[in-house]
Amino acid sequence: MTHRRWFTPWLLAAPAAVWLIVFYVWPSINTVVLSFSNAKPLGGGRFTGLENFARVLDDDQLADALLNSVVFMLVCLPLLTVLPLLIAILVEKKLPGIMYFRTAFYTPVIASAVVVALIWGWVLDDRGLVNGFAQWLGVVAEPVPFLTDRWLLVFSAISLTVWKGLGYYMIIYLSALGNVRRELHEAAAVDGAGPVRRFWSVTVPGVRNTMLLVSVLVSVSALRVFSELYVLSNGTGGPGGRAMSVVMLIQLYSRGFTGHLGYASALSIVLLAITIGPMLMLLRLNRKAA
Amino acid sequence: MRRCWAGLAMAAVMVAGGCGLGDAGQGSAAPAAGTATGAANGEVKGKVSLQTWALKPKFTDYVQGVIDAFEKKHPGVEVEWLDQPGEGYSDKVLSQAAGGTLPDVVNLPPDFALPLVKQDLLLDVSQADPKLAGEYVPGGLDAYRYPGAQGTYGYPWYLNTDVNYWNSELLTKHGLDPKKPPADLDQLIAQARTLKEKSGGKVYLMSRRPELGDLANAGVKLMSDDGTRFTFNTPQAAALLDKYRGAFKEGLLPRDVLTDTYAGNAKLFGEGTVAWTTGGGNFITSLATDNPSLAPKVVPSVAMGTPPLYVQGLSIARQTKNAPAAIALARWVTSPENQAAFAHLVNIFPSTRASADDPFFSKSDGTNSGDAKVIAFTSLAKAKMLQPVQVSEAMNKFVRQQFALAMSGETTSQEALDAAVAKCDELLKG
Repeated sequence: MTHRRWFTPWLLAAPAAVWLIVFYVWPSINTVVLSFSNAKPLGGGRFTGLENFARVLDDDQLADALLNSVVFMLVCLPLLTVLPLLIAILVEKKLPGIMYFRTAFYTPVIASAVVVALIWGWVLDDRGLVNGFAQWLGVVAEPVPFLTDRWLLVFSAISLTVWKGLGYYMIIYLSALGNVRRELHEAAAVDGAGPVRRFWSVTVPGVRNTMLLVSVLVSVSALRVFSELYVLSNGTGGPGGRAMSVVMLIQLYSRGFTGHLGYASALSIVLLAITIGPMLMLLRLNRKAA
Repeated sequence: MRRCWAGLAMAAVMVAGGCGLGDAGQGSAAPAAGTATGAANGEVKGKVSLQTWALKPKFTDYVQGVIDAFEKKHPGVEVEWLDQPGEGYSDKVLSQAAGGTLPDVVNLPPDFALPLVKQDLLLDVSQADPKLAGEYVPGGLDAYRYPGAQGTYGYPWYLNTDVNYWNSELLTKHGLDPKKPPADLDQLIAQARTLKEKSGGKVYLMSRRPELGDLANAGVKLMSDDGTRFTFNTPQAAALLDKYRGAFKEGLLPRDVLTDTYAGNAKLFGEGTVAWTTGGGNFITSLATDNPSLAPKVVPSVAMGTPPLYVQGLSIARQTKNAPAAIALARWVTSPENQAAFAHLVNIFPSTRASADDPFFSKSDGTNSGDAKVIAFTSLAKAKMLQPVQVSEAMNKFVRQQFALAMSGETTSQEALDAAVAKCDELLKG
């Protein structure tokens, strides 16, 4: 009808491209540059070579934070890859009132992470709902230190993350399950396969790529955990700051008038390198399975 | 494979971009040409900007009145008033400093002013205004003098300090005399033990962790005189932490003081679960809003040891194009009359020598709130800034974390202090 101008696609892509460059690409490049300097919000910026990275190796708090982040990822990865799939299979069935359950599972997703963490903080506090109820029942004599013990704090944050993430990944699996052909299930059933066998031989292969996507998303977001641990520990990272995540440490170093932007950037690069590891492993596993 | 690398690149952007940091700013603002010596005597005219911190809307009428009077006194001068919200004020000032857009007169507490002084972004007001030392109290001026920098970098505006507040009802109910409050840490711990035993562990007396100010109060030197290294890892400081560790082990403090997940001692005091808190001279007034039945039962007393000094001040941007008007405005806002008028609205105390004899501050109206005001005012004479301004937010956090480890028994007090000093020194050198 009309001659297509050569720049039309560029015009259409421009807003997204500009957004990406300004808010993702440029900050990423800037982070790499800053990691080799002693940059501060005011002043600094002298090239210091690998000094920040040498400091990383000697940072006890980073060792704690890395351990916390890795534990977070290792626990969240299987739970958030498998549980949402099972829930999706359950709520996929066309039963009366099933919409209620779908909505119930999805509701935590739309709530703000900070608000949810605040509520969980009140629930798990020494004087909170859980401890109050447990003490009333006589299950425990003293309150359980959910928020004042390093590992209990980390696992409380994991529980919160899993609870909040279930609905989100459930929706992804629901769309994937819709692509698994019903005939395959029927044929397997005719061949005598029970529900468990059909799950392993029909459903799982059918959603394997989605499981890989979910695994990658979960591992990246788990290694970058911030809000849950930050709010539950009121920003302190638990007793002695030993329940901090790597991102909390980055935030700690980069804040304020005297923020150590160079070192915080070096920590960001370390986190990036660590995030790439599990992703490569997952991709390799997927290729092998294929 | 291409897809694999594309995925990795995207993830890299997700992680690094998410953690990305903005431009460092580099502190590029150059000093204004020439010197501001004697600028106080220049002609006051033209535009001048004033930035305050969270005074709107509560004190809009007061500040606007002060500005109107200034403009009336100096025809030809126009004041632009900027008020920034309470949250994120340091970030706002930081971006203004990095972008070279600091207002002419800006409200900066001493610790906010220090990094700006290091970048030569603030005017030495003692050079620009030679009458300074004779008009403001020494403690207020000292707060704006920094090791390694010649001069004074702010007009002290208003001061405050801490007063002890005791819940007389709880103390009396559990066998303690509110008229005989503890005078030192040992007595505090002893009374906390009594309160715990008599209340069956339902009421606490102590509900906060020790901080650097507590070490300073115990006579520990926190920093070297030249401000280049920290020195608080002494046996004396370890002994103090040991006392807190013992009290914590005995259950004399709520367990969650270690992580700050507890509501804070002032909040717990307001709820009636803690019988002691510290607060500014106006604490009872604000408590009367939150818990009107408790407020009349509160008894104030002098803070233990050396009371802490809290200072707010007005600094002048070195790049100001209108130094005479900026200096005149800062002097006007911090004048005895305007500070006294402000102090009638809220319990703060003037930083001017001329206010020392004002009976409004030195005589109580007989209420516990009035008593607290007088206690705070008289305490200011010996109050000091207990924590060096060089202590940054990150340092404070590391110190709190190490003190928490010491209290919980995960490390010894000396190890915690050594680790805190090492980290603070590292951050100081940056």
